[in-house]
Amino acid sequence: MECREVEDLLGACLDGELEPALATSVRGHADTCTTCRQRLANLESIGRMVRHAPYYQAPAGLRAQVIHARARSAATPHWLAWAAAAVVVASLTGSIVFVTSATRAARALDPVDAVAQEVVSSHVRALMAAHLFDVQSTDQHTVKPWFLGKLDFSPPVTDLAQAGYPLTGGRLDYLAGRPVAALVYTRGQHAINLFVWPEASNAVRSSDARALRGFHVRHWVRGGMSYWAVSDVNDADLDRFVLALQQ
Amino acid sequence: MPRSFEDVVLPHLDAAFNYARWLTKNDADAEDVVQDAYIRALRFFSSLRDENARAWLFTIVRNTWYGRFPRRTGSAVVNVPDEDFEHRPDVGLDPEAQMIQQQTVEQVRRALETLPADYREVLVLRELEGLSYKEIAAIVEIPIGTVMSRLARARERLTGVLVPAN
Repeated sequence: MECREVEDLLGACLDGELEPALATSVRGHADTCTTCRQRLANLESIGRMVRHAPYYQAPAGLRAQVIHARARSAATPHWLAWAAAAVVVASLTGSIVFVTSATRAARALDPVDAVAQEVVSSHVRALMAAHLFDVQSTDQHTVKPWFLGKLDFSPPVTDLAQAGYPLTGGRLDYLAGRPVAALVYTRGQHAINLFVWPEASNAVRSSDARALRGFHVRHWVRGGMSYWAVSDVNDADLDRFVLALQQ
Repeated sequence: MPRSFEDVVLPHLDAAFNYARWLTKNDADAEDVVQDAYIRALRFFSSLRDENARAWLFTIVRNTWYGRFPRRTGSAVVNVPDEDFEHRPDVGLDPEAQMIQQQTVEQVRRALETLPADYREVLVLRELEGLSYKEIAAIVEIPIGTVMSRLARARERLTGVLVPAN
């Protein structure tokens, strides 16, 4: 590939937005071309800097106002609800709505989906209550022993700072009807929760991806352990996290 | 499983505020925009079909902001002083490293705020919110190719400001 073509693709390559084959040739070119290698390094360092820009948190007053507005809207007048119901029943699309919501309900009964919902709720709870850690440390040799005696299994704990996902701590959580280990990693300003617990069967399940309520979720089973990773980082970053973890 | 507004939209309040704060560049406007956006989100909540509530909320925040100030391009807006912005330095850094980090943060903030609004928002959505090109394209209502070129231009400008020439 020529510098001219590669130059325009370097950013997308770093963002994990190129087709794998194209990404390989872009990286291949950068390996041999000093100019493009330098450009790539500059882009990487710009990315790191921007990810350190302030992440503005909603002021407490705003949160209270929003919750208040929600409470008021929940008290919708009854006649409005009846009017809405009448419209639904009267229209043909109404029956379609009922059918799709019925299939949704059926899907929600799938046990894996139910766990996925729990995993996302737990992630949100931890973030909202600002209770991510029972043990806060970037050292895997501090985090792993902390779980000893608190769980009936020993979760594998690896720091992924090298791969750009530093470990920041862990906590106990309760999911799928049992105590589980929650490991917390970060990517830029975002937390990744990794939930681990022993899997009853010996099945190996490769990573399955889903998106729930604006969060990305990955689930896999390996070495007798069930893993759930959840975060609001983008799909490509979460995939890289899973890959780094599995190596 | 029934999804409530509390479960689906409320958890993204910080993200909505962060995005609005970068769009408006001041706290007061950001609060106004997010408050209005949440009222709209409440009204349209039943129409939220796909699962990506965060991207959906960003679209509403963006429309609220540009809907209220259609001519606004964000390049010459009044800037409210920012002494009160909260930034917690990483734990475990020595005082000198902390100071250097704070200076970098401040430098990056300024550099980002001087970018044209169109460039700034794609960069914020990508780097701070971690959205994919496809998600950004849907929120900003531009083709994916334009997301890519805006990001490239934005990064090019920042490189000029933030990376020492070598």
